[in-house]
Amino acid sequence: MPFITILYYGISIFIAAMLIWNFVKEKHDTQKMALCLIVLIPFLLRIFRIR
Amino acid sequence: MYLQIGLILLIMVLAYGLAKWKNLSVELCMASSAVAGGLAGAFIKAPPLIQLARHLVEGTFTYLDVMLVFVTATIFIKIITESGGVDYVVRGIITAFFNMRIVALLMLMIVLLIPGALTGAGSVSILTVGAPCAMALGYLGISKKRVAAILFIIAGLSAAAPPVNIWAMIISAGTAIPYVGFEFPLGIPVLILGTFTVLFLGWKRENNMELAEVLSRMPTIPEKMNAWRVALPFMTFFGLIAISRIWPFALPVMGLPLQFSIAALVALLVSPKRINFLVLSRDTVKLLLPLLATMAIVGSLQQIMTVTGVRGLISYTVISMPLIVLYISLIFIIPISEGILTYGGAAIIGIPLVWFLDSIGLHATVAIAGLSLIWPLGDGLPPTALIGRLTVIMSDYKGSYTSFLKATWVPWVLITITGILMILFSAKLSFLVEWGM
Amino acid sequence: MSREWIQKSLLICIVMTITILSGVQFYRHRHFQLPIVAGPGVTKVTMLSDYCQSLKGTPADTRVFFMEGAEEGGKTLIIANTHSNEPAAILAALIFIENAMVDRGSLIVIPQFNNSGSRNTKPGDGYVLFFDIPTEWGSKRFRMGNRNAAPLDQWPDPDVYVHYPDKKLFSFLDARNTNRTWPGRENGLLMEKVTFAAMELMRTEGVDVAIDIHGAETMFPVTNCIVAPKKAMRIATITSMIVNAREGFENHVEPSPKSFRGLSHREIGDFSETMPFLLEAPLPFLDQPTGPKTEALLLDGKDPFLLSLSKQKKLFVPYDSTGWSMEKRVGQHCSVILELMNQFSRRNRERSIIVSQVPKYAEIIERGVGFYYKDPDKADRERIYYN
Ligand SMILES: [Zn+2]
Repeated sequence: MPFITILYYGISIFIAAMLIWNFVKEKHDTQKMALCLIVLIPFLLRIFRIR
Repeated sequence: MYLQIGLILLIMVLAYGLAKWKNLSVELCMASSAVAGGLAGAFIKAPPLIQLARHLVEGTFTYLDVMLVFVTATIFIKIITESGGVDYVVRGIITAFFNMRIVALLMLMIVLLIPGALTGAGSVSILTVGAPCAMALGYLGISKKRVAAILFIIAGLSAAAPPVNIWAMIISAGTAIPYVGFEFPLGIPVLILGTFTVLFLGWKRENNMELAEVLSRMPTIPEKMNAWRVALPFMTFFGLIAISRIWPFALPVMGLPLQFSIAALVALLVSPKRINFLVLSRDTVKLLLPLLATMAIVGSLQQIMTVTGVRGLISYTVISMPLIVLYISLIFIIPISEGILTYGGAAIIGIPLVWFLDSIGLHATVAIAGLSLIWPLGDGLPPTALIGRLTVIMSDYKGSYTSFLKATWVPWVLITITGILMILFSAKLSFLVEWGM
Repeated sequence: MSREWIQKSLLICIVMTITILSGVQFYRHRHFQLPIVAGPGVTKVTMLSDYCQSLKGTPADTRVFFMEGAEEGGKTLIIANTHSNEPAAILAALIFIENAMVDRGSLIVIPQFNNSGSRNTKPGDGYVLFFDIPTEWGSKRFRMGNRNAAPLDQWPDPDVYVHYPDKKLFSFLDARNTNRTWPGRENGLLMEKVTFAAMELMRTEGVDVAIDIHGAETMFPVTNCIVAPKKAMRIATITSMIVNAREGFENHVEPSPKSFRGLSHREIGDFSETMPFLLEAPLPFLDQPTGPKTEALLLDGKDPFLLSLSKQKKLFVPYDSTGWSMEKRVGQHCSVILELMNQFSRRNRERSIIVSQVPKYAEIIERGVGFYYKDPDKADRERIYYN
């Protein structure tokens, strides 16, 4: 895999981590929690090279 | 089939309404609408129930790369802001041009135009330089309502401005018309309309503060901040873009997210203030969450509308209109489609429309440019009101959303007229394309 | 457990179910292998990367089928699935691979030119993942791909795609479009390597005629036609007239514009001795104003909205309630390819290519496309190639 592509997986993992962090940190707003997870879906499937 | 698809559309609208009534956020209302539409479609096996999850998830990929740009670009500007760079620039503009009001307004317009022009997203303009520009406009004695209106219109124009105009790119890719020659057909109207907007809305001074008083109210700037520290990250970013254009085959493709990331790293290194990068990134993602969710969910919604035939029905209705009715209705259809689907409207209505306009002898490139001036206006319309909502937050406007929207009406109408005229007279304006070639 | 964590667990469960359910389907689609039964005419099967080292081992590498006649003659290259969402191409290519006998010259077929694209889906457009063609022994399943290569194989996209070598600008999506990356580069983007390898194949094998098979929307002006550059224009024009007169279907000719770079019908002719042709057949499934995007629409091309638009004279092809069936499209492609080779051979006797056992338009409409596919379960294992 080209080096730059690897960096993109890195950026994706970083953003996914930030989303998860926000999900964990969110204490009350259920809707915000849901949004974190919805946005996370494409990132997860990309990181695991499914799509 | 009309009835069947119409029924699915009705169910989608009802699901949206029900979700809204249950006090769900706009993003979740759209998600409910998508799921309901998919379930309704499953009755006629479009899509088969087993494929429903796949369609919903596949849609979220539509704007994945745009999401990467949003996040990295916003982190980049947030670092600049945090390090005092934006305050430094705003203070500079105010100090130098306080008594040359028109120049100050134009400078602020340019500052607002740049981030959106580069990324194709007006939201990036608002998220990055929106707050400090709003402050500066306030110091120039402009009311909060008008500041919000300026921000919204200029951000919209920035998204339409070259080099990156996502509506034009979507239509170009879908119609096999090369994405070239848009510099002048987009750049010239954007600059003229932008100038008109800031001067029209910003002309009246509603307070009489002196320069000294204004400066004392502005946030303080870290001592070690200087022009170099602000310029270096931007130079890195523009430099990387310039290199990729001047020697496109010498280096591998980097892409906007990586270019923003590298610029962000430079900004972090030259910042006079220590910045907690992780916390800043986390908060940026939180700030962007509604926007990211809208992008993901609009993709799903679009996919469900396509697979059920709802998108086809809408597209068909637009294409079937008589020409005169079509031109008049574009005034409403274009912004409303953006309000509901954001970029999705460009694909659903834009692609067949441009083929049709092309076939009746209009110049496709200029027509696309004209259309894509009108599209950003829709970013102020519900349900998504993506840019409108962000503008109100960033400019700290406390009035009602409708009162803010009403303040934009003069530039709104002018932009619409310009766009429609560009479509109508696209053949005569084709010289604008040739200039850029 | 606190209320917060009950909510969170519930959300995680829902989202995970959706993700895994779709993930399995995406994985199955991407890793589905299409069995291709090499017919009696196939003499060797190689990889495209044999013509470009840097393509070796990448997910974009794909199979090349050679059918060499006993007699020396000219060479024709058939490229299918340049756009993997235009499936009449691969169906026509498989009819050639599984049936054709070459008596003179050779036929080279690349059935899945953009292999990566055929393992990709198109977000927002609601395609089916697979489609099934009925045959006498059951049905043959095909992947429905995307116009562009998968981001899993070529990522990131540039902000704007700068075409090699003229520096023309295209939308970022076109960096993954193998009908914009011609003539390609040995060490460029992955899709540029794919087109470069094909250029090398044509140059080293001395290919005379290259035929790139596509499909296009009925609302797109360039559809139901043969696109050819100046040097291939005469053959295209005569072919168009002959298929119209003898087989009764319309297929007009479009000139390849000089300024529109990156397309096969432009660059192949400009960067090699080969004569390129690009075939377009109408593909209602890709049109924007259609009803549900079902497998039926993909295969029979029947749509009430398009029918109504046709009455309003807004389509660029004749369209009635019979739609545009897959048989019609594949039949057109087969007939046009045979006639192009025939016309080329008449003008270049020493480079002539003689192919038999390939059905024409009327026959394919009568018997169906699946009639010409061999049952992989009954075929000799050695003759099955997965792609
Ligand atoms: Zn094609």
